[in-house]
This record gives sequence, C-alpha cells and structure tokens, in this order.
Amino acid sequence: MARITAGVASSHIPALGATIDHGKTQEPYWKDCFAGYDWTRQWEAAQKPDVVILVYNDHATAFDMNFIPTFAIGCAERYKSADEGWGPRPVPEVIGDPDLAWHIAQSCILDEFDMTMVNQMDVDHGLTVPLSLMFGQPEAWPCKVVPLAVNVVTYPPPSGNRCYALGEAIARAVESYPEDITVQIWGTGGMSHQLQGPRAGLINAEWDNRFLDDLVNDPQRLRHIPHIEYLRETGSEGIEMVMWLIMRGALGANVRALHRHYHVPASNTAVGHIVLEPIA
Amino acid sequence: MITENPKRQDIHEYLAELEDIPGTRVFTTARARKGYWLNQFCMTLMKAENRARFKADERAYLDEWPMTEVQKQAVLTRDYNAALDEGGNIYFLAKVFFTDEISFLQAVGTMTGMSAPDYQAMMIAGGRPPVGLRSKKDPY
Repeated sequence: MARITAGVASSHIPALGATIDHGKTQEPYWKDCFAGYDWTRQWEAAQKPDVVILVYNDHATAFDMNFIPTFAIGCAERYKSADEGWGPRPVPEVIGDPDLAWHIAQSCILDEFDMTMVNQMDVDHGLTVPLSLMFGQPEAWPCKVVPLAVNVVTYPPPSGNRCYALGEAIARAVESYPEDITVQIWGTGGMSHQLQGPRAGLINAEWDNRFLDDLVNDPQRLRHIPHIEYLRETGSEGIEMVMWLIMRGALGANVRALHRHYHVPASNTAVGHIVLEPIA
Repeated sequence: MITENPKRQDIHEYLAELEDIPGTRVFTTARARKGYWLNQFCMTLMKAENRARFKADERAYLDEWPMTEVQKQAVLTRDYNAALDEGGNIYFLAKVFFTDEISFLQAVGTMTGMSAPDYQAMMIAGGRPPVGLRSKKDPY
C-alpha cells in the first residue's frame, strides 16, 4: 500500500533556479540561502521517495487568461521545462506517474473536490526550482512527480481551509492506492513577498516564522487565516503559502520538524523551508 | 430553498478589503477582464521568434493585439505601475521584462520609486517592514 512518508515546504523563487543553473550558489549573496538546503539534499538521497506530489502554482506559463483551474492535477507521462521568456531551464524532463495521478484525481472527486485533469503542460520554475533545491543537478530526477497546480494568481484563490482539506483528501487517496510505494508531498511558494507596486519588497519575518512554528504546533490556526491577512502581512504574493497547507493537511494531526531554514532575501523574497514527518 | 453557509464571508466585503492595501493592486476578476489582451499579448513573448519580432518593432507588434492605447503606452514606456492599473498581472508582465533581459529584482524595483541600488540595499537589509502599510483606511 502507498504511504506518505514526509512533507517538504519551500519557496520556489526563479532566481534560485538561475543561480543553480549558472553555478553561482557559493557567491556571497547566495551562500547562506543555499546552505539551508544541504541537509535536505542529503536526507532526500537517503529517503529515495518513489513519487513526489508537488504542489505549486503556474506563473502564466501553462495556464494563461483562457483557462484558470483552481486545482489542476497533472496526469501526463512527462512534462517539459517551460520557456518562461529566457529559454527553458536546463533541467531533466519531469517524469509523471499517470496511474497514481488518475487515482488521486478520481478519489478526490469522489471526496467532493472537483479537480481539473491535465494531460499536456510544460512546467515552470514553480515546479522545477524545488526539484533542483532538494535533488541538486542530476542527469535524471530521482523520482516520479505528480504536479498539482493551484490558482493563486487570479482572485479568489482557494481558502487555506479548502487547501488543508484537499491535503486530507490526497492522503486518503494515497492510502487507498494499491502499489507499495513511498510518497512525499511538497508545498511550495512563499514566504513573504510582494512583486508589484510601490509596496514591493515587503517582508514580514516575524509572521513567516510564526507560520513555520504553527505548521508543527497549531495547523488548525493556519487553515483559518483569511486571504486578507496574507496580503496585509506578507505581501501580495505571500498568498502562495496557502499551498503549504495542502502539504500540511496530507500529513495528519501530528508532525515533527526534521529541518527548518529561513533566509532574507533571495531577489525580492523571503526564503522559507521546512521538512516535516508525520507522527502516527 | 438554498442552504445558507454561515461561515462564508460576504463577497462585497471580501472584494472591498482587497482594495484596502496601500501600493497594491490585487489581481481581481475586474482587473483580469480589463487586462485580458494586455496579459495575452505578454504570453506571446514566451516564443523566441515572437520576442525577436517584438524587439524589432515594438509598436507594430503591439498593434497586432486589441489592446487600448493606454495599455500599449504602458508597455512601450515600461511603466509597470501603469500596466498594473490597466489590468496587467505581474507574472504576465514578467514576459516583457525577461524579453528585456532584466531580472525580477530590477523590474520590481522600478515600481517602488526607489533607485535600483537603494531597492537592492533595502532587500539585503531585510526588506520593507509592513508597519503602516497594512491598510489604507486604518494604517497600522
């Protein structure tokens, strides 16, 4: 039987991908930011998950203004790295797990989550940067990936509560999958950042760290944070943190933190990263 | 009879709150409708051949799309605050600044009224604190 063995959260800032691709992670500006991922890369190499369910948002790449799915699950065999305007990132092709993805899609729909299924899409930095941060620069990614794209661009995005409940539905789906595989779920995006207007550059380290604390201590508080609080406290793009709650919801009532990292800045953004393990 | 959902926030109150944040244009459906062609034009710059055509004659390329003159001027002058006012979304506008081969950090800084070095320095010092910038009508 399939089981969820861990949850990982991380920012997915495009500049992190560019810095890895150009071999600049040891430059003074970037060194401390990347050092926070060293532990996780070693841990992932030992964990060897079969599949990662990777929760991210598409940044006007696969979905333009013509299609705006709230929850879109990738059911394809493979996904190419997108050309976001400076050419595709030089990373391996992402290999999907259509059997598991369709199983999750069906199970979630029976659980009253009306998923959108996607059979063809390119994946942008939201998905490929976390893979690079956790796995480095291998010839091929060491596991299959089920992309789960969440609309956090056009308002209203889903509520934190809805995201948390979707995580719970995903956990039920994985538990009922007959293959004997290990699955991790990753929530990406955030933390504080605002990429637009005169208020750009907003960072709220205190709020972010309380969010990291309560992923372990009080997730029930986090799921009820309204959109307006993310916007006021963490900047307009801080709303991406609702995606972390899908990851958290999939881990069950109690978790322990194995690793935690917080760094300001990477480009315009506060980098947050945490590795969680469910406690039975 | 339609079942009530007592936990649901009033939609008008929800939308009004989104307009209460200083220096911020939340990408509501009203903005998405206004900016539809501006944003769809931006998407075309994800192809290398379109980036080349745009760079060769920006005005002619913009004229291929049913955008307003104000939207076209916002692109031509790279006035990203004006583009946001016209319904542009930052992830779509990013295709323009990637075409210009400038970074998110450089492009975002232009919207703040700060010089590029000052904006960079602010970020390195920990970013812009939220104090006083949480609400227009009731600053805290």
